[in-house]
Amino acid sequence: MNVVSRGVRNAFRNQVRTLSIVLILSLSIGLSLVMLIAHQAVGQKIKDVKSQVGNTINIQPAGYNPLSQANNALTTDNLNKVKSLPHVTNVIETLTDRLTTIGSSQPEGPFGGTTSNSNNQTSLASPITLNSDGNGSFSSSGGGQRLFISGGGSLPANFSPPIQILGTNDPSHLQNNSSATIKSGQLIDGSKDSNDAMVSADMASKNSLKVGSTFTAYGQTLTVAGIFDSGTRGGNDVVVVSLPALERLSGQGNVVNSAIATVDSADNLSGAVTAVKNTLGSSADVTSSLDEANNTIQPLKNVQSISLMSLIGAVIAGAIIILLTMVMIVRERRREIGILKAIGGSNLKIIFQFMSEALTFTILAAIIGLIIGVVGGNPVTNTLVTNSTNSSSQSSAGDNFAGPRTVKAGVAGGPVTFQRAGGGLVSRNVGGLRNTLTNINTNVGWDILAYGLGAAVLIAVIGSGSAGWLIARVRPAEVMRSE
Amino acid sequence: MIQVKKLSKGFKSGDTVVKAVNNVSLTVSKGDFASIVGPSGSGKSTLMSLLGGLDKPNVGSIEVDGEDITKLKDHSLIRYRAKNVGFVFQGYNLVPNLTAQENVMLPMEFAGVAKNQRRPRAEELLNQVGITDDKQRRKPARLSGGEQQRVAIARALANHPKLVLADEPTGNLDSANGKMIFNLLHKLAKEEETTIIVVTHDLSIAGKTDKTFKLTDGKLEPGKK
Repeated sequence: MNVVSRGVRNAFRNQVRTLSIVLILSLSIGLSLVMLIAHQAVGQKIKDVKSQVGNTINIQPAGYNPLSQANNALTTDNLNKVKSLPHVTNVIETLTDRLTTIGSSQPEGPFGGTTSNSNNQTSLASPITLNSDGNGSFSSSGGGQRLFISGGGSLPANFSPPIQILGTNDPSHLQNNSSATIKSGQLIDGSKDSNDAMVSADMASKNSLKVGSTFTAYGQTLTVAGIFDSGTRGGNDVVVVSLPALERLSGQGNVVNSAIATVDSADNLSGAVTAVKNTLGSSADVTSSLDEANNTIQPLKNVQSISLMSLIGAVIAGAIIILLTMVMIVRERRREIGILKAIGGSNLKIIFQFMSEALTFTILAAIIGLIIGVVGGNPVTNTLVTNSTNSSSQSSAGDNFAGPRTVKAGVAGGPVTFQRAGGGLVSRNVGGLRNTLTNINTNVGWDILAYGLGAAVLIAVIGSGSAGWLIARVRPAEVMRSE
Repeated sequence: MIQVKKLSKGFKSGDTVVKAVNNVSLTVSKGDFASIVGPSGSGKSTLMSLLGGLDKPNVGSIEVDGEDITKLKDHSLIRYRAKNVGFVFQGYNLVPNLTAQENVMLPMEFAGVAKNQRRPRAEELLNQVGITDDKQRRKPARLSGGEQQRVAIARALANHPKLVLADEPTGNLDSANGKMIFNLLHKLAKEEETTIIVVTHDLSIAGKTDKTFKLTDGKLEPGKK
């Protein structure tokens, strides 16, 4: 029998006390592990979210509102300054406008009917078809695009849905993060002012167009240079021309109403956003995916800090539990320590014996604590994340940045308005991420088990440290004298 | 041989210093069976602690086989105690969760005796003091007072000590058991050639020892030689 085995045996001298100590300590270690698991899982989730967000910066005119004609323009001169900023590798500039089919009527509203510019007419018809919903109003579904009729109004008999025309310096990238896959013909040159256009396969089919066919828009003849598929129904209701061409055709020279700047690395995103903001000043709203992602993952960060604090607290509590236990045991066994010293036991050997005893308590507690951690890690993490996410959602109620956009019903007989469903590129990405925030998987690997045992040893060493100090102070002669 | 010269030890009690041992000088030869008698508070246990190297005197020297143990550092004193001194206490003071055999093996472990030599030595000693068979594997709570004290004596002799210090070894025992323990100590002192110093109130026991020292108020009075 040596000091270690004696220490282990001593741990079971009082079985009721041992059970109590082990149970209390196991709760502390279990809580530590649960918090460690939560901390790691949430940290990994934050990392995943950030890696999915990308490295783009959205630039729009300050106060941009697609339903308004006011202040909806940036200048290409301003964006040229952005292009020259450090870490900015590319800027996709886009200008959008809406075309109406020649001979069709548009409903009352800020964009339709009589308020529409008669120059924005095209010979094309939208591939979107209208269906009656049986309530006296109409809706048109086309994948990501919906037209909502509100206000109790009705569509004109010869109504045809408007067609979006997109001018871009990068025709391979369409709006809503879709890309154009060329089915026939070729990509147009986004920087060249020409009347070449790309139409979607749906649009080509609806209007019997082929590569080389022509159609009219803005009173001019445009030639189909390529037929593409965007992969989305909404993205296929678009005519694409070069940016200079649309600026010329729509009479909006040197103007864009949206830009996406790409940064060389996500690590430089924050600095680049600041630089873009400083460059464009108050004339533009500059948002990055990182900003929005940070807002989205804020609940996770809260959980991460809560779990870290709880982890530290639980480890300290465990150390205090074992410390007080060992102090109590040493005080209780002062005489025995004195006897051991009298018969030749050194301080070191006796301290090792008590450390073995403390280690026995903590290893037993660690085994139970590991079970608690493994069983409780996932539900506790999910509860923490769900509660934090819910409270965050409640505090930001009314924020519709990620949700589908619908137009509320207006006053009966009032103007008819419509709007496309779905947010922008970033909003839709981050919105999707927010939906998956609560979908956290916890993993209990060997590292967690090693941390658990490490924490147990640490707790035992810290806890028995003061006991060792007390042991060193026991003088055998005093114990003899008190006999 | 143990030679004590002008030994003094005082303790602070408030503003005053109480001299528990005051200028004590004595000599005990190898193999002697000596006793120290005196009333409570006379300094007997303090003198025992000093002789056993559990405490250090304020003044004086204790030479054991020519080595002054009062000049030893703490770690050397621990080694001295482990190899040269055996203690027997009034309250037995066995480690409660160890068996009789393990209690006897404990000082051997502290003294660095090889593992394979500990158990045979413990069995031999326990047999000598009359603790045999399954009693050797019993824990102290399952032994009588007399048996526990015999185990304590076996433990004290485990490392062939030069000196055994017994503080009221029969104090908790009935007269029959007390006599048996005394005879055992006496016998072992002769067989093992160990110097034994016993603190006792029992003058009948003191009368049977080779030497008796009487302590009053920390001072040694001339006694029976």
